[in-house]
Parts: sequence; structure tokens; C-alpha cells
Amino acid sequence: MTAEIGVAARAARWVRRFAGDVGDAHVLGTVRIAFGAMLFWQTLELGRDLETRGYFGDAFHVPFVPEAWMPSARVYAGMLAARLLFAALVLVGQAARPALLASSLLGMYGLLCDRVQFHHNRYALYCFAFLLAFTPCHRALVLTRGDAEGPGERLGSLWAQRVAQVQVALIYVASGGSKLFDRDWRDGLVIADRFARYGGEALARGVPAAVVEWFSRPSVTSGLAKLAIATELFLAVGLWLPRTRVFAIWWGVMFHLTIEVTSRVELFTWLTLATYAFFVVPDYRARKLYFDATRPSGAWTARAVAALDWFARFEVRAWSPDGLRGGHSVVVVRRDGTRATGVRAIAMIARCVPLLFPLWAPLAFAASFTRGGEANTRA
Amino acid sequence: MPEQLISRRTLVARCALAAGYLATQLALVATAGARPEHAFGFRMFSESSTVRLHLLRSVEAPSGHGTILVDAPAGSWNARDAAGTVHRFAWRDRVRAPELSTFDVTMHAAYGADAQVARLRAAIVDVARHIPDDAETRELVLDVTIRKNGREAEVVRLRSGAR
Repeated sequence: MTAEIGVAARAARWVRRFAGDVGDAHVLGTVRIAFGAMLFWQTLELGRDLETRGYFGDAFHVPFVPEAWMPSARVYAGMLAARLLFAALVLVGQAARPALLASSLLGMYGLLCDRVQFHHNRYALYCFAFLLAFTPCHRALVLTRGDAEGPGERLGSLWAQRVAQVQVALIYVASGGSKLFDRDWRDGLVIADRFARYGGEALARGVPAAVVEWFSRPSVTSGLAKLAIATELFLAVGLWLPRTRVFAIWWGVMFHLTIEVTSRVELFTWLTLATYAFFVVPDYRARKLYFDATRPSGAWTARAVAALDWFARFEVRAWSPDGLRGGHSVVVVRRDGTRATGVRAIAMIARCVPLLFPLWAPLAFAASFTRGGEANTRA
Repeated sequence: MPEQLISRRTLVARCALAAGYLATQLALVATAGARPEHAFGFRMFSESSTVRLHLLRSVEAPSGHGTILVDAPAGSWNARDAAGTVHRFAWRDRVRAPELSTFDVTMHAAYGADAQVARLRAAIVDVARHIPDDAETRELVLDVTIRKNGREAEVVRLRSGAR
């Protein structure tokens, strides 16, 4: 009985936390801008299709919905125009949440009107746009507003962000799981056939023949298939655990950039990278970056970080060099108050700045061999 | 993380929306196998298959007995209407997606061979219904050469049904 009460109390606490957790919305504001751009681009592509091929409803199409629910050509063109407007509103942050909801619902409706045009990445874009509409993404980075939001104004409920995190994991489970249960995938036949068919293209692009030949070996394609399956299943779990999260995101970035280089996947790579931001801790300038303004390298680093720190991880400040900081261009103070200098500081910057993030793992690896760079006193 | 004081109604609404959304997603993922293109199932790069399309028409045999199959190169053909006037017909007039309207070229089947066959099965019926001025073609026939994950090629013959 007591155990049952304990479980019920824990469940109730979990539900209250899930529905009531609040956090800073700056990162969600960045995600909203990325989604606005992707929705705009995606709608432009549909507009180009309409211009070059004509309205799909006037030709062969396979709707999921009854034919009577299909829009006329004029209504469809109007829907695309509305979607462009909604995407622009999402991007700038005006009426962003209703615009996200409308964009996602119109997008879903479009997919249901013709399964020939179905693409996983388009469906995923509308799913995440739907969830983003329930986050406080409108509370930060409103581009039409002159001044920056105050800390209190950026706070909002994060329950929909949690659902978006589950959605990311679900995509990896579905994708990795379906490959795991498919013998052709597990054994490497699918990858082997892709290499066999596109090996010629790789050669034409200057990839050495020995490399193409090595990647085409059955043992290698079998190993790569298992690595791809393991990667997807690992990402479904690793993104959730604080200890593995940063590595999971880095590994995922590398995985998706490799796919981007080797395949045509429309917006899928950029969509996935944007959704990784749902796993970024929702705080604001919780780390500090002190720089020596008298040194060009310090001033340059500070300027670069201030410009590229899209998730507002750092409070960037010039300092007057003292005993500890003397001799360093930059000192990073982590969330827990510990300080990093040299390669460790650069690795820390790479970890937090999206454009530099691909460099994080090699830098962190290199930093692990350095003796200095870890000042044990707290800030 | 700080917690917000919310009303019971808000709490129930948020939990219901989250649960409903995730239950729908799980159901769609679980049933994706029932849809030829695995729509809504997030099965990325599910196979590496190719298809090659070749269009034929079933027309009356010159002997007057039965029908014969004649090629429709590149998915186009000439045929007479009931009044004897010759018209030009093209599969592409009706089917605009390049992956469903490019003939005699081996193409990647992005969403798998089953998805392509299902779409082509619907397309051939649709095309046959939209050529009222063709009084010669008795039936459209589409040979789809499928190579699934590098295995031996197999040919699936799709028919529009008698017109």
C-alpha cells in the first residue's frame, strides 16, 4: 500500500514537473527562426513546383483524404501564399505561435492531398512546427522588436519542448529499429548497393579508387550498416542522458553531415540539427567568457563568440588581467564556476557555439592531453 | 528547473495533448509497414532499389484476331480517335512526377520498390482513364524492372485493365 502511494506520488510529481517546468526561451527563439526559414524555403519549393509542373490536383495524384476534400488550384495557390506569410511571421516572431500552428496544419493537409509528394523530412518539419507552436518560442528574439527581452519576459513553460525531445527520439527509434529488423540492412546489402551504384560518381568527383574499393567491400559495408543502426539507436537514448548528451549531439551532427554530403535529403539534415537544440539546457549566459582586450587574439575571440553565440551561452566581458588571468587571452568560467584557459577554453567555446560545434570533440580530445588550462579556483 | 504554478485544467490539457500527440505518433510508426511508402513511419533509407519503366500498349492485331503489344517509346504514342484523326499521347501529360514518368532509364526508388509499384499501379489506371481520344489502345501495360538491394532483377507487369 505504502509502495503504491509512493509510486502514485512520484508519478503525480513527475506529471506536475512535466506540465509546469519553466525555463529561458532564448534557445527556442533561435529554433523558431530556423524553423521559419525552413518553412519559408519549403513553401518556396512547392511554389516552384506549382509554377513549373502546374497544380498537382489537375494531374495524377494519390490522396490520403477523399477526393472531395482536395483544394481547387486557386485555393491551393492561396494556401501556399498564406504559408509563405506564416513562415515569415514565424521567422520574425510576430504572432509566431499561431503562424507555426497554421503552417504545420496546412503543411500536413498538403501531404494528405498527395502521397506521391510525401517525404519524411517534410512530415517531420510539420510535426516539429506543430510542437514548437506550444513552446514559449515567441518570447525571445522577436526581430521586429527594437529592444531585447528582459529575463522575466523570456521565461515560459517547456512541456512542449519535452514532447519535441520525445519526437526526436521516436524518429531515431523508428528509423534505427526498422533497419535493425531488416536483414538486408543489418547485413549491409542496402549500403553495399548504394556504394555499387554511386561509386562511379564518387570516382568522378575525385575520390581515390582505393577508397571507393575499400568502402565497397562486404565486410566494410556490413560494419557501416551496423554502425548506422547503432548510431540511430544510441542517439535515441544518448541525447537524454546528461553524461552522454554532448557527445551524442556531436556524433549526430557528424552522422547527419555525412548523410548530407552523400545523399539528397532536402531539408532533413538542417531540420535534424535544429531539433538538437531542443536538448540544449534552457538557460541564458550561464557561462562567462573573460577576454584580455589589450591582446588582438582576445578581442578577436570575444567578437567572434559574441557574434556566433546564438544560444546565448556566454556572458562576454573584458577584464583587467590579474594573477590568474594574466598570460591568457581568454578565460572561460563554466556553469559550476570552474575556469578553463588555453585549449580547454577553446574546446568550451566550440562546445557552446553552434557553427564551431563540429570541432568540439577533436578539441576536447586534444585538451584532455594538456596539463594546464584547468584553473581549480572558482570564479 | 523552476516550476510554474498551473491550474488543474491547464495541467490536464497539457498532459492530454502530449499523450494524444505521442499516442498518434506511436500508432503511425507501428502501422507504417501497412503503407507502401511507409508514410508517417520515419523509415529513412529503408532500401536501395532501382526501377526501370517500359510502357507498352495492347492494340488490335493487324490480322484482326486478338491483340498484340506494341512499344510506347519514352511513354509516348500516336493513336487515332473514333473519327480516324491521329493524336499524340504522352504518359507525362497526366503523370508529372519524374520518378513515375521517366521511361527506359534505371532510376533510384527513393521510397522503395513497393512504393513505386503501388504508385505506378494507380498511375496506369489513371492514364488509361484520361485518354478518351485514343480509340486504338485496348489496354496500357507497364513493365517495371525492379532490382531490390542489389539482388537479381525481376519484372512486374502492371495492367490498366481493358478500356
